[in-house]
Amino acid sequence: MTAAGAAAMGSTVSEGARALWILTLVLGGATLALVTLDSVPSWMHGEPRGIRRASGVEEAERRLQAKVLLPAYFPDTLRWPPSAVRFIRDEGGSVALSFLGADGAPALFLAQTAGGDGTLPPALLGRLAVIQQQSAPLGDGAVLARVVAEDGTLWNQLEWSAGGRRFHLRGRGSLEDLIRMARSIHGGPR
Amino acid sequence: MTGQRWMDFAGQAIFHTLVAALVIEALVRLWGVRQPEQRIGFRLLALAWPLLVVPALFLVFPVREGEAFRDARSVFAGRHWDDLAFLGVGLYGWWIAGMAAMGLALFLLDLVPWLRSRSAEPPPWIARTPEGERAGEALSRAAASLCMAAPPLIFLLEGWPVLYCTGTRQPAVVISLAAVDLLDRAELEGALAHELAHLERRDPTLSWALMGARALMWFNPGVQVLVRALARDAERVADERAATATGDRLALASGLLKLFRATEKRIPARSAEPFPLSASLAEPIARARAHDIEQRCRALLGPAPEPIPLAGFRFAAAAAGLGLLLFFVV
Repeated sequence: MTAAGAAAMGSTVSEGARALWILTLVLGGATLALVTLDSVPSWMHGEPRGIRRASGVEEAERRLQAKVLLPAYFPDTLRWPPSAVRFIRDEGGSVALSFLGADGAPALFLAQTAGGDGTLPPALLGRLAVIQQQSAPLGDGAVLARVVAEDGTLWNQLEWSAGGRRFHLRGRGSLEDLIRMARSIHGGPR
Repeated sequence: MTGQRWMDFAGQAIFHTLVAALVIEALVRLWGVRQPEQRIGFRLLALAWPLLVVPALFLVFPVREGEAFRDARSVFAGRHWDDLAFLGVGLYGWWIAGMAAMGLALFLLDLVPWLRSRSAEPPPWIARTPEGERAGEALSRAAASLCMAAPPLIFLLEGWPVLYCTGTRQPAVVISLAAVDLLDRAELEGALAHELAHLERRDPTLSWALMGARALMWFNPGVQVLVRALARDAERVADERAATATGDRLALASGLLKLFRATEKRIPARSAEPFPLSASLAEPIARARAHDIEQRCRALLGPAPEPIPLAGFRFAAAAAGLGLLLFFVV
């Protein structure tokens, strides 16, 4: 190859590399913009990206393609349907239902994995400070705790594994009602 | 297809066009693509997205329509915006409705005047006047410079300057008495060479195809805007071809400017007819037209634009990159 040919080849290669670099920058910028745009609905609900909202339990079941287990015992002090149905697809998928009390304040929170008895994603549960914890006489691995939520409210919390799923039930009512509700969930602690 | 699937298709067609058009526009500017033929190539790539790629994605990859793909694998999913609702309807639904309304408005804005002009009575025309003879001679010279046979010339007795080409199977150049009076010899030859360049490239046929694409994608404002950009590029291509053939870039620019100035007062009045909103749109349309003419004249005042190197490689890389990105946009 002549010196002129080599120089032309070098120029072509550098031109091609520059073109690819610009293309990468443009596509990278577009990807970043799209990811940001996709995160806006979650951010507007005050939640991290990945947590989705469903209009009801049926929609969550359809989107996760898994049955959501509900307590058969549901005290009159709680409002049906759930005020929020949130789910996440990470690690097999998990769903969380929030219920309001008769006074309109948050009163009950039920989260469960859609498949697998691994841990529930912390993003779905929210930030909680455990102030007291003990094993519950409800079967293997059941844990009863007293927790403080981000807004400073105190909750009773029950966690257990059953039927190949992990459950998390949190309530502001009486502990007896919470345990009764947990036991009434199909596959709940006995 | 179910209503939900049609909505997903429409949403993706609109969104993919917007992303593809913006990416292509950024690349055209950053890569410095100035030659109009190359610009057309890149813009056709963006136009191919809603017309070919999105239908193909729906047919070949039904997995993209699944909720698992949407929630776990996608870079962007329009349906996630349905988590936010207004008046009981998700924002994604509102966005599609708004875009469809905008697309339809842009389509009708061009379609209605076009249909009216086609249904209008044919204007009177004569073959032999001194101006007609002059136009005929200029057309023959322009055709010779482009190495093509001169098409029939339709000479109108219009008081307004009129100059355009027409016909898919039987091409012809239409010119009015006022246009011949307005332009000097070199300007007339340049302007006629411009129209012949359109015929040489079969632009009248292409414009039918693009109108078909617009009708098919009436709900897609991106397509409506892209086709307009392609029409502007086609004008630039014809300008360059005419300027190269006649060898007088300044005469073409001067003729272009004269024709624009002589017709600019008439355009708002014509476009005010078809729509209730046309009167308010007339001003921005007139400004956009003036901007286009200015850009074309500026381009003609400079040397002919050089093609960018490695155009095929850039085109393939842009297509592959866009394909990869938009596969994950549902």
